[in-house]
Amino acid sequence: MGQVLFIVWRESVEALLVVGILHAWLKNGGADARRGLPYLWGGVSVGVLGAIGLGAALLGFSELLSGDAQDYFQIVMVILAAILIVQMVFWMRKHGRTLKRDMETSLSENLQKASWWGVFALAALAIAREGSETVIFLYGLGLAQQGETAGAMILAAVLGFALAFLTFYLLQLGGKIFSWRRFFQVTEIILLFLAAGLLLTGIERLMSLDIIPTLIDPVWDSSRLLDDTTTFGNLVSTLTGYRAQPALMSLLVYAAYWVAVQLFLRRARPKAIPANRANPAK
Amino acid sequence: MVSAKARGLFGICLFFAAAVSMAADLPTFKLEMKDGVLNPARIEVPAGKKIKIEIINAGKSAAEFESVQLRKEKVLAPGAESFVVIAPLSPGEYKFFDDFHATAQGVIVAK
Repeated sequence: MGQVLFIVWRESVEALLVVGILHAWLKNGGADARRGLPYLWGGVSVGVLGAIGLGAALLGFSELLSGDAQDYFQIVMVILAAILIVQMVFWMRKHGRTLKRDMETSLSENLQKASWWGVFALAALAIAREGSETVIFLYGLGLAQQGETAGAMILAAVLGFALAFLTFYLLQLGGKIFSWRRFFQVTEIILLFLAAGLLLTGIERLMSLDIIPTLIDPVWDSSRLLDDTTTFGNLVSTLTGYRAQPALMSLLVYAAYWVAVQLFLRRARPKAIPANRANPAK
Repeated sequence: MVSAKARGLFGICLFFAAAVSMAADLPTFKLEMKDGVLNPARIEVPAGKKIKIEIINAGKSAAEFESVQLRKEKVLAPGAESFVVIAPLSPGEYKFFDDFHATAQGVIVAK
């Protein structure tokens, strides 16, 4: 029963981290940021439907989707999610608390629409990806259990979800307690590390399919320090991109990612409007 | 709703993708995952060659074939069959496990 609880929580926590942070940003970012909330919830709903659909597809069409097809699909999903996360961080940095001022130019309004759809897509993707595995897992549980143990399993699954929602709730609390700046700084880093982990997962799948070379594999073995096959190690590895036995290609991509992110985000500093240019008509 | 034509095309593409993956003549090994029991728990394979492992979930609960070292992860519904193709391995031991059943631990030994 503990196993069920843990698996449901583990699969949900990553998605709820993304949705939770986005929700806290939108809710605390000012009146105009709140306009993005319906897109977030829309994305979550579509994500849940997508998770059920994906799960059903994998269950029903397992012959069609056998072999490498599943891998390709997952690669696209994780890399897309990583890109969307970085995009979202970039956008929030740029517009964050200045949404009201930006709204006064029509250009920003179009940018906003596109960015709200980005919120939608990110939420949908995050939930669909992790959710589909949970759906299949729960379906299998449902089949296997009969009688009294079914009740215990259902309770375990519900508790697992509840734990995940606790994570969500803690994030919202953090958004209210801490200053916007501090909260944004910390959650930004959480998301960027998550995206790094997702990117590495995609790269590793590509390596396992022999599409890109590993170069040197492994470069080191730090499993005595932190074994990424243990539960805690696995969590760290998902949330940060840590690998106990990384391939050289993984290390290069990881380093390149952070360099690219730094460069990219540097351009997102909110620009202060210089006083003498505030009224060009003069 | 996706049109019937698009769905058909998608299906054909997937079929070709699957067919191409299966066309190669690779050393093939069978693995049965059954509600947390791996059979065999130790698979001996030739090193330096691409290999294929056909996985069957013979149990009543979902299973997930996963190996951190081999960078493979595959969810299998009850009764599902699938396969993984593993790039040439250097000699050594590579752990794999069923992510949905903590007690199921196995090893692939490349010689």
